[in-house]
Amino acid sequence: MERRSFVKLLGAAGVATASAPLLAGKASAADKITIALIPGLTADGFYVTMHKGAIAASQAVGADLIYQGAAEWNVSLQMPILDAVIAKQPKAILIAPNDKQQMIEPLRKANDAGIAVICVDTFIGDGVFQKGSGDVDFPISYVASDNVLGGRMAARALAKAIGEKGKVYVSNVKPGVSTTDQREEGFKDEMKNYKDIQVLDTQFNDDDANKAAAQFQAVLGRTPDLAGVFGANLFSAGGTANGAKQAGVTGKVKLAGFDAPESIVPQLKDGTFELTIAQHPAEIGYFGFIAAYAHVTGNPVPAAIGTGFTVMTAANIDDPNVSKYLYKSE
Amino acid sequence: MTAPELTSAGDVPVASTRRSVLLRIAEMRAWLFLILLAAFFEIWARVVYGSSFILNIYNLRSISVFATAPLTLALGQTFVIISAGIDLSLGFIMGLSSVLAAHAANYLAAQLGLPPFLAMLLAITIGTVTTIIPGLVNGALIAHLRVPPFIGTLGMYGVARGAAYLFAGGMTVAISNPWYSAIGNNRVLGVPVVVVLTAIACLIMHYLLSQTRFGQHTYAMGASQIAARRAGIDIKRLTMRIYLLSAIMAGFAGAFYTGRFSAGAAQAGEPLLLDSIAAVVIGGASLFGGSGTIWGTVAGALVIAVIQYGLVFIDVEPFWQFIAVGTVIIISVLVDQTQRRFTGGRQVE
Repeated sequence: MERRSFVKLLGAAGVATASAPLLAGKASAADKITIALIPGLTADGFYVTMHKGAIAASQAVGADLIYQGAAEWNVSLQMPILDAVIAKQPKAILIAPNDKQQMIEPLRKANDAGIAVICVDTFIGDGVFQKGSGDVDFPISYVASDNVLGGRMAARALAKAIGEKGKVYVSNVKPGVSTTDQREEGFKDEMKNYKDIQVLDTQFNDDDANKAAAQFQAVLGRTPDLAGVFGANLFSAGGTANGAKQAGVTGKVKLAGFDAPESIVPQLKDGTFELTIAQHPAEIGYFGFIAAYAHVTGNPVPAAIGTGFTVMTAANIDDPNVSKYLYKSE
Repeated sequence: MTAPELTSAGDVPVASTRRSVLLRIAEMRAWLFLILLAAFFEIWARVVYGSSFILNIYNLRSISVFATAPLTLALGQTFVIISAGIDLSLGFIMGLSSVLAAHAANYLAAQLGLPPFLAMLLAITIGTVTTIIPGLVNGALIAHLRVPPFIGTLGMYGVARGAAYLFAGGMTVAISNPWYSAIGNNRVLGVPVVVVLTAIACLIMHYLLSQTRFGQHTYAMGASQIAARRAGIDIKRLTMRIYLLSAIMAGFAGAFYTGRFSAGAAQAGEPLLLDSIAAVVIGGASLFGGSGTIWGTVAGALVIAVIQYGLVFIDVEPFWQFIAVGTVIIISVLVDQTQRRFTGGRQVE
């Protein structure tokens, strides 16, 4: 997969901002456009930051934003929230679906009710929309980081850190989550380019840092020459780092993390993490909202908008151009 | 609920010698499981890797640290389950304590300028003491308002969860306190500090359960609440104390989680709740109340940790972990039922 062109992305933003003043006049006539954002879960810095991006966009174009989500990553919790949001009849829904398959029909219902659907972060079906064929073609656009690319970037950076040789493995949440699956896929695929690097079996930790720590120690126990680990999300990475600390191999076994809460800064500086891949969730929220707004106001929108990544290391984390991508709660 | 019966550790009815030997074995089943598992992994490790699984200080250390968090929750849960209750709110009470301790550590050091060591002590205290509130609410709901424990603590599960996420702002709360991180990760005489602290907690809990009136009343209440009340036990006060104790243990677990991972997380205890219940059940306690021991729970927690660690160590497909832990729980409950038929036959029906 290729990273989607930035030009398209700018195009979407440009169209929307250009039409904004035009519409601001109409909006005062009591039919202000309402757009909803349903995150994958609410209790997560990633989505908190995405929400901020969406707020910024809603203020920029003068539309209303509804933000509702479940506390947990679970289809049976997301479904009723989607129903409640549909009942409010927004013009468009931005959603990070909790499952590739199970959320298809509920979202189709929304689409049939005349509400435009845009996927953010995660997707339904195969994530390729508006191609004029196929069963799951109705979402207007998919706005997300290219997670396969994120996995590749982690692989390249980690390979460099371990001198392009040795054994590594992926610490992951659980199978079936589109984003983390893709990170693992990208990581493993990229590692094939390094013939002296061996990728061991993936360890799944159910988002339990305690388990991720024990798994690291168990793998290290049987593989004393372990060179590096890729923690595919926050708790996988944090748990693995603790396992390394307990085993006294911090800095010796190189760790690559994914995502960038503010707590990552001291951990990069003290060598707990060699690097972390920061997504740009605020951009996802911002451009997702703008794309929805553009569509609702009759403007064309690209079917896929890719937002970027930043590789953070101890060397660059003090650079404001890098640290601005840390996920913030305030 | 079943009819009243008394099968607590000290109350094995007098039976033939052969029977009592069988009963002893049934009571010790968690330790038997543990020995069998250790033997299995030992043989595998020797055959495949040519190294020892058990006589390996690194493995022992890793497994014991792994077991501390679920075990700390399970210690309080043991009292609750023996009293024929259940506490579903422990996981998020732990998360709440973890988040509050992290905030407190940061605030005390940065805003009030306290030295890190003092800030750590106060943070652990604040995180733990705050759990008195959900503990008392749980106890009051169950004891005074007659809410079933399952429902009352399920409600608190939601409340504590929401509160923890609100305090954390939906993020993890990082700390930068070298003392606090050290207590979560350093060792004394080669033994991780968290393991030492958990061992002390086990000793205290064992004393409370087996040597004090509080502990004996807990058994009596679990065996038969009516009989316990007629015997003059203040059931309401006892219930309050039991749920308070389990909340405080969850508070400890949360405060130490913050030290170990250098961050407070609302979801810290979420995956541990079911493990804590499983540890108590594998340890020989009955969900109908009246039986169970602290040492059984310790063995139960170690069984779960050894399975999960061992299967990764010998490089088995990860999903086998679920099957293995599930199987041990089922066997354990089957043994419990069989044992009940032996000892409680006369009283049932």
